[in-house]
Amino acid sequence: MAHVSDVQKLGVSPARGWTAVALLLAAATLCGVWLDPYVTITSQAMIYVLAIVIAAYKLDWLQSAVCAIGAVTALNFFFVPPRWTFDVESQEHFIALVVMLVVALVISHLASSVRRESRHAALNARRARQLQELASGLSISSTKEEILSLGQGALDDAFDGPNTLLLLDDGQELQGGADLSNEVRDGLRCCINECAVLGPGTGRWPGLDAWYLPLGEKGRVLGAARVLPARAADNDGREHAQALCSLLAQNLLRARLSASVQSVQAEAQRQQVQSTFLAAVSHDLRTPLASIVGAASALQTQRDKLGAAEQDRLLASIANEASYLSRVTENTLQLVRLTSLQKDLKRDWESLEEIVGSVLSRVRQHDTGRRIKSKVPAGLPLIKADPVLLAQMIGNLLENALKYSEGAIDLSIAAQGQALTISVKDRGPGVAPAQQDLIFEPYRRGDQSGPRGAGLGLALCRAIAQAHGGSLRVTARSGGGACFLATLPLDVAQPEQDAQ
Amino acid sequence: MTLRVLVVEDDHEIRSLMQSSLSVEGFEVQTAVSLSEARALLRHKAPDLIVLDLGLPDGDGVQLVHEIRKQHATPVIVVSARYQETLKIELLDAGADDYLTKPFSVGELLARMRVALRHRGTSLAAAVTQHQLEDLSVDLTTRTVQLAGETVHLTPTEFKLLARLVRSAGRVVTHRQLLTDVWGPEFTEHTHYLRLYMAQLRAKIERDPGEPRHLLTETGVGYRLADV
Repeated sequence: MAHVSDVQKLGVSPARGWTAVALLLAAATLCGVWLDPYVTITSQAMIYVLAIVIAAYKLDWLQSAVCAIGAVTALNFFFVPPRWTFDVESQEHFIALVVMLVVALVISHLASSVRRESRHAALNARRARQLQELASGLSISSTKEEILSLGQGALDDAFDGPNTLLLLDDGQELQGGADLSNEVRDGLRCCINECAVLGPGTGRWPGLDAWYLPLGEKGRVLGAARVLPARAADNDGREHAQALCSLLAQNLLRARLSASVQSVQAEAQRQQVQSTFLAAVSHDLRTPLASIVGAASALQTQRDKLGAAEQDRLLASIANEASYLSRVTENTLQLVRLTSLQKDLKRDWESLEEIVGSVLSRVRQHDTGRRIKSKVPAGLPLIKADPVLLAQMIGNLLENALKYSEGAIDLSIAAQGQALTISVKDRGPGVAPAQQDLIFEPYRRGDQSGPRGAGLGLALCRAIAQAHGGSLRVTARSGGGACFLATLPLDVAQPEQDAQ
Repeated sequence: MTLRVLVVEDDHEIRSLMQSSLSVEGFEVQTAVSLSEARALLRHKAPDLIVLDLGLPDGDGVQLVHEIRKQHATPVIVVSARYQETLKIELLDAGADDYLTKPFSVGELLARMRVALRHRGTSLAAAVTQHQLEDLSVDLTTRTVQLAGETVHLTPTEFKLLARLVRSAGRVVTHRQLLTDVWGPEFTEHTHYLRLYMAQLRAKIERDPGEPRHLLTETGVGYRLADV
């Protein structure tokens, strides 16, 4: 699109205009001299009139008026008898010259006013089109930054500038524009405070070199713009700048409203999640707590009546339930931490062989029959990961399998293309297809009658896999049982090995 | 001679639990609820071992470990919650001897204390030069490593790594400490060296490298050579 401001400069430059005047007059005169043997003075006068009309059509009012006067003078000098003088012999010629001069001046006046109006109309049309384009551009932009950059672009397109567009921050201070002079900042500040256009032709601070325009209405001013050049007589220009600014203000307000609606929705969703979470946590915590309190109070009040075996059973129950509670707490905290600060992963080059080894040394305490068979091939690639989280994921999957199944449990790690896969397979009841996604939701267990508290562990496992850019899913195992498969991408190049 | 233990812990229940279980084991137990109280007690008389809880009301345990290390070789065992990994590593690097993650059993605490006290004794006497556990035996003076009587051949770097762990047998050694001591201080970020060399070492001295018996991984913190 051509610069909107270019329309104002469409005419011919003054030097070229005056040259054109001289050339037109010379051409008409030469033409007259050349035709002199064949035509009368009437035709020669017509040639000058043609030159006047061309000048009136192409040049501005002053140039075409000068051209008209020059043409009449030249006709008089070169062709009206007595020729080669400024004298006029007959009265008829004198009247003709005067009429010709008047006609020429009227033509140039009419032509230049038509031209001025059409130029004006073209400028207005371009401005209208610019407003339309800006409005459609703004309708698909949602952030403050996008609106600001579209607005700056539109101002620079319509006005030579340098134009300035600044917004107010939450503390009603101007954002950015640190390189602006104090005078400009004061102007912007003042126009925001007064919520009115300042500058030439506005009646407010007419001595300024630019227009200062507020964005928004009284009580809801979002920022301000400074536009150059500003001429007192250019009412249309000022109105266009105001129209641009009010369009920007409307869209800024819309963006602000939609942002606040979104944040309210997000907050409502967060509270919803939090309350289901709390309800579920308290359910998962209450049962083991009841066992602990029951066993402890029995020991406290009935110790004398209880046999040694019974006392040991109660103590073991307290220890078991307490360690279960500690796992639930650990999982809950980790899940909350992971979903709230996903970027907080402490990634380093890790070996899954090591992680599996450390997980097994812990999980074997609950695996007295050594049901877990692990298969970790040597020479696995290293993975850039948070080891504590991966250990927690593998540990949860193994403990789940121990809890829900009776037979052997296969843990295997494999490198497949650009990913590492961790699979835990059991021969338990398996997961029904309808439940295969639900079991990863926080606090939703596949089988409500089974052992308590598995739901959170799986939710955490999936969150851990996803935090590493991977996935975790469950499938039915042929021959019965469940297969949990975590896939972790190896998206970073393996580290260089040292030569030592 | 009764060994004196200073327990720095702000939680009343855990403090009194530690006090009673350590007293039963024959330790003389002093307790402090804050860093400032711990400092006051340390000025009075240095204990034989300090159990330091992270997350004290009046500040950072790291500062206290630095202060202790300036004056005493007293072993320090750090007690922390699982999510305090970074702080834990910072304390170990600052000179703490070992750590325990809450919740822990009294048995675990006593085992760690025994290891820490043994190292204190030997560090005052002579450096550890021999290690023997089950079928593995390491002699640093003759540079020999044997597995079930068979000599195991290690590369110089593998041996340096194992030797570093032998000198702290039973205690955790952080990644940073291992990288600094084996490769040099400019290699502290090269964790992948450790992963690769530990895998090679395990392949040579472990019966089942997937479930190591000797070279234990302290996930996210470092390694420990099993000692019991």
